[in-house]
Amino acid sequence: MDRHHVIIIGAGIVGVSCAHQLIQRGSRVTLIEAGPGPGVQGATAAGMGHIVVNDGEPEILKLCLRGREMWRQLLDENVGDRGYWNTGTLWLAEDEEQMHGLEGARDRLHSAGVDSHTVQASELFDLEPALNRDLAGGLRIPHDGVVYAPKVTARLLSQTTEVESRFGTRVTRVGDGLVTLEDGTEMKADAVVIASGISLLDNLAGEEDSPWKQNLKILPREGHLAITARGTGILRHHVVEAGYQKGAHGVVEEAVACAILPRPTDQLCLGSSRRPGRAGAVDPGVLKKVIDRCERFVPGVRRLPILRSWTGARAATMDGKPLIGPVPGWNRTWLVGGFEGLGITQAPAAAELLAQRIHAETCTLDAGPWDPGRMPALSAGGRSD
Amino acid sequence: MTKAVRITVDGASLLAQEGQSLTAALMMAGVSAIRKSPTGEARGALCAMGSCHECRATVDGVRGVRTCLVPVKEGLRVEREMKLPRLPLESSPGGEGGDAPQIIETGLAVIGAGPAGLAAACVAAELGMKVVIIDESMGPGGRIWSHRHDPPLAARSWLERAREAGVLKLQGYSVFSGQAGVLDVARVTDGKRVRIQCQSMVVATGARERFLPFPGWTLPGVVGAGALQSLIKGGLNIAGRRVLVAGTGPLLLAVARLAKESGAEVILAEQSSLVDRSRLAIPLLLSPSRWKPARQLLKALGGIERYSSSWVTEARGGPALKEVVLRTPAGDRVLEVDGLAIGYGLIPETRIAAGLGCEVETTGTVRVDSLQQTSVPGIFCAGEPTGIAGCEAAIDEGMVAGIAAAGKTPKASLLARVRRHRFWGQALEDAHPLREELGKLARDSEILCRCEDVTVGEVSEISSIREARLIHRVGMGPCQGRVCESAAHCQSLSGSDTIRPPWTVVPGENQDMSSAL
Ligand SMILES: Cc1cc2nc3c(=O)[nH]c(=O)nc-3n(C[C@H](O)[C@H](O)[C@H](O)COP(=O)(O)OP(=O)(O)OC[C@H]3O[C@@H](n4cnc5c(N)ncnc54)[C@H](O)[C@@H]3O)c2cc1C
Ligand SMILES: Cc1cc2nc3c(=O)[nH]c(=O)nc-3n(C[C@H](O)[C@H](O)[C@H](O)COP(=O)(O)OP(=O)(O)OC[C@H]3O[C@@H](n4cnc5c(N)ncnc54)[C@H](O)[C@@H]3O)c2cc1C
Ligand code: FES
Repeated sequence: MDRHHVIIIGAGIVGVSCAHQLIQRGSRVTLIEAGPGPGVQGATAAGMGHIVVNDGEPEILKLCLRGREMWRQLLDENVGDRGYWNTGTLWLAEDEEQMHGLEGARDRLHSAGVDSHTVQASELFDLEPALNRDLAGGLRIPHDGVVYAPKVTARLLSQTTEVESRFGTRVTRVGDGLVTLEDGTEMKADAVVIASGISLLDNLAGEEDSPWKQNLKILPREGHLAITARGTGILRHHVVEAGYQKGAHGVVEEAVACAILPRPTDQLCLGSSRRPGRAGAVDPGVLKKVIDRCERFVPGVRRLPILRSWTGARAATMDGKPLIGPVPGWNRTWLVGGFEGLGITQAPAAAELLAQRIHAETCTLDAGPWDPGRMPALSAGGRSD
Repeated sequence: MTKAVRITVDGASLLAQEGQSLTAALMMAGVSAIRKSPTGEARGALCAMGSCHECRATVDGVRGVRTCLVPVKEGLRVEREMKLPRLPLESSPGGEGGDAPQIIETGLAVIGAGPAGLAAACVAAELGMKVVIIDESMGPGGRIWSHRHDPPLAARSWLERAREAGVLKLQGYSVFSGQAGVLDVARVTDGKRVRIQCQSMVVATGARERFLPFPGWTLPGVVGAGALQSLIKGGLNIAGRRVLVAGTGPLLLAVARLAKESGAEVILAEQSSLVDRSRLAIPLLLSPSRWKPARQLLKALGGIERYSSSWVTEARGGPALKEVVLRTPAGDRVLEVDGLAIGYGLIPETRIAAGLGCEVETTGTVRVDSLQQTSVPGIFCAGEPTGIAGCEAAIDEGMVAGIAAAGKTPKASLLARVRRHRFWGQALEDAHPLREELGKLARDSEILCRCEDVTVGEVSEISSIREARLIHRVGMGPCQGRVCESAAHCQSLSGSDTIRPPWTVVPGENQDMSSAL
C-alpha cells in the first residue's frame, strides 16, 4: 500500500508545523506555497513573535500553553534569533483597577498551572528601569518568550526531512481530498490541510450559499509594527499594557495598544494596532499612534531611530477561536487557521492536534472547541432553505 | 576662509575646520573607523552622501546621525558607535502625543536640491508658485555642484535665481514619509520634524553609487568613487596620498581629476574595455556641446597611471587599508595605496518616488511622461531617478517638471533636448557594461550586507530578496538595502524590497524643538 499522503497548502509557521507533525507520524507530505519560500509571504513574516500564554478563554489558554511548551522543546533556548528567547512577559497596569484585573489573571493562570506573579510598582523599575515611573504595577509571566517566526519556520522546515516543498505554486481550488493548482494540475491525497492563513477559505469548492460557508468567515485585521535600530535593547521583557486584551478581542473599529518586544539583535519591535482589513500600505498616522502609545509606557521610545515599519493581517474568526478540524461535511480536507494574534504561539499545538485527528489518535487537547463544525448554522443541521 | 574649531570625539579634543563635513574631519584626524558592526568589525564611511549609514555616530547626544551630512562647528560632540551604548531614557518633550510638527504650506515641494531640483524650483517659482525645496546634504547643489567653498559658476546662477524667486530652502532635512499632498521631513542632525503640505511635488533625489562586494571591501579606507569626490569637496585633504580610483563609468574620470588637482598621486582603473567604450564615439560626435569638456577632462588626466579592462579583486590591510590587488590584462598587480575609491556606476534613487506610490519600471527608473509627470497625478520626477543621463539632462528635466507643475507648457525645443539626453544616457551605460567576473569576486565568508554582517555564503542557497531579507536579515539595517541590494542582485537573488516609511532612517522624534527656519 502507498504511504499515507498529505498535501498542505501554505508554508507559514502553521503549515510548516503541520508538516513537521505529520512526517513524524509517517505521512508523506507535499507542501505547496505561493511565495518564494517558507514563512516569508503571509502573517508569519509580519508577526511580532511573542510567545505568550494568554489569559483569555480557558481553552485558548490551554492551546497557548501547549504551544509554548512545544516551542521550548523544539528550539534551543537563548541562542539569538534562531531559538527561543526566554524574556518573559510583563503586563503593565496604569491604575489600581487594571492592577486588580491583573491579579485576577494571575489567579486564573495559577489554576491552569502557569507560573506568574504580580509585581508592585516599586519593584517594577528594578525589573525594567526604562518603564514609566507612574505605573501601578504589573504581572510577570516568566516563561513566555520571543521567537523570530520567519527564521524559525525556515529552520523547522529544513530540519523536517522528506517534505516535498513546492514554492512559487498557487492553489486555485480545493475539494474534498482534491487540489487544483494554478496551471490546472489536479492532485489527490489522503488528506489535504489548508493552512493558507488569511486566504483559508478562499478556494474551497462547493456552493457559495451553503450555510457553513456563510458562517465560516475569516475576518482580516490589520496591524502596524515598527522596529528600532540596533543598540536600543532597553527592555528585557516583552512589555504589554493590560488594556491590550480589550483591543485584541473586541471587533472594534480601530485599537492601538502598547506591546514592545525586545529582539535578541538589541532592537525593539514596537506594536501594535488593529483595524478591520487586509494588510495595506503603512499608514503614517497609525504608525505614529502606535509609537506614541509605546512612549506612554516606555518614555523616550519616540527618540529611538526607526529602521522599518510594516503591516500584517491577523486572521480572526467570528467567535474569536481558531479553526482546527475538517471542513464541515467533508472527510479528507482539513482547516487549520484563524489564529488572530496568537498563531505563532499556538502553531505547534494546533499542528499536533490536527495531526492527531488526521491519524485518528487520542488528542492531547480537547478538539471540540476548535472544530469548524461548531459554528451555529451547522449545528442547526446542515442546509437551511 | 576656513576657521579652525575644536570638536570632541569620544571625549578627546580635535582640531577641525568649520563647515567641513564631519566625516572628512574625522578622517583627517586619522579616525577612519567610525562604528563597530554587529560582529565587531571596525567600519568607516562608504558613500559619503547619506545612503550607506556606515558613518553614523552619536552627535551632540543624538544617536544614528550620518556624519557625512553634518557640517563641523565649534564644540560639536561626537561619540563613535563603537560600543553601542544603552540609551539614557528620559521622556521626550511634548507628552504622549508629542509636539505637533511645524507645518509649512506651499504650492510646490521639491525633494532634492541638485541640478534637477534647483531648476524645477526656480522655474516654478518664477512662474508664480510658492516653492519649498528640501535637501539632506550640507549645502545645495546635489552631487555635482555642492561644494564647501564657492559653488561652481553654473550652480551660482541657479542659487541666485532661487533666492530672487523666493524659494524656501530646507537644507539638512531628509524626506522620510508622506503621500501626495504631504511630506514629513526630519532634520539630519537632531530629528526635528517638519510637515510640508503642498499641491504638487517634484521628486529630484538623484542617484547613488553601485557597490559590489569583494574581499576586503569593508575595510575602513575603502570608499565609493563618488564618495571620495564628496569627501574632498567636504574638506578632506588628500595631498600627497596615493589613491586608486577604480570601478566603472564616467564618474571615475571626474573623481580622478579632482583627486589629482587636490594633490594626490592617482591611479585609475576602469573595468570596461576600450572596445566597449569606443561605442561612445558616435554619440559623442553627435553631441558637440560635450566636446570641449571631454577634451579638458582628458587633458587634466594626462600623465596619471591608467589601466583599462582592469578591476580590483581584493583589498588588504587591517585595521586600515594597505594594498589592493588589481587584475589587469597583464596579470595581477599588488598596489600599495593610502586609499581606494571604488564604484560601479550609478543607481537611480527611486525610493522616495516609490514610497509616494509612483510606478517604477523594471529597469529601475521612475516612469514619467514627456512632462515628467509620474503615475501619481501632481507628482513629477526629474533628474537621475528617471535614468542616469548627467547634469544637463537633470537641468532640462527639472525645468520641464517645474513648468508642468506650474500648469504651463514647456517649449518643444526643451522637450526635444530632454529626449536627446536620454539617448546620451543610454549610450553611456552601454559603453560601460559590467563584466560577469565582478559578481563572483566575493568568497562565501565575505560580507554581503554590511549593516547586518550577513555573509555571501549565508544566502548561497536561496533565490529571492524576500527570503534573504526575512530569514537572513540582508537589507534589514539602517541603509535599508541601499548598499546590499545591488550586491545581492549580483548574487542572483531576484525581486526587490517593498518601500515603507521611513523611506530613509532619521533620528528619533522630539530631540530638539528649535525652529526649522
Ligand atoms: C501585526 C501582527 C502581529 C502578530 N504578533 C503575534 C505575536 O506576537 N505572537 C503570536 O503568537 N502571533 C502573532 N501574530 C499572529 C501570527 O503571525 C499568525 O497567526 C501566524 O503567523 C499565522 O500563520 P499561518 O501559517 O497560519 O499563516 P501565514 O503565515 O499567513 O501563512 C499562510 C501561507 O499560505 C500561503 N498561501 C495562501 N494562499 C495560498 C494559495 N492559494 N496557494 C498556495 N499558498 C497559499 C501564503 O503565501 C502564506 O505563506 C501576529 C500577526 C500580526 C499580523
Ligand atoms: C556620488 C556621485 C557623484 C557624481 N559626480 C558627478 C560629477 O562629478 N560630474 C557629473 O557630471 N556628474 C556626476 N554625478 C552624476 C550626477 O548625479 C548628475 O550629473 C547630476 O548631478 C544629477 O542631478 P540630480 O539633480 O538628478 O541629482 P543630484 O545632484 O544627485 O541631487 C539629488 C539631491 O537630492 C537629495 N536627496 C536625495 N534623497 C533625499 C531625501 N530623502 N530627502 C532630502 N534630500 C534628498 C540629495 O541629497 C541630493 O542633494 C555624480 C553622481 C553621484 C551619485
Ligand atoms: S548593507 Fe545596509 S542593509 Fe544591507
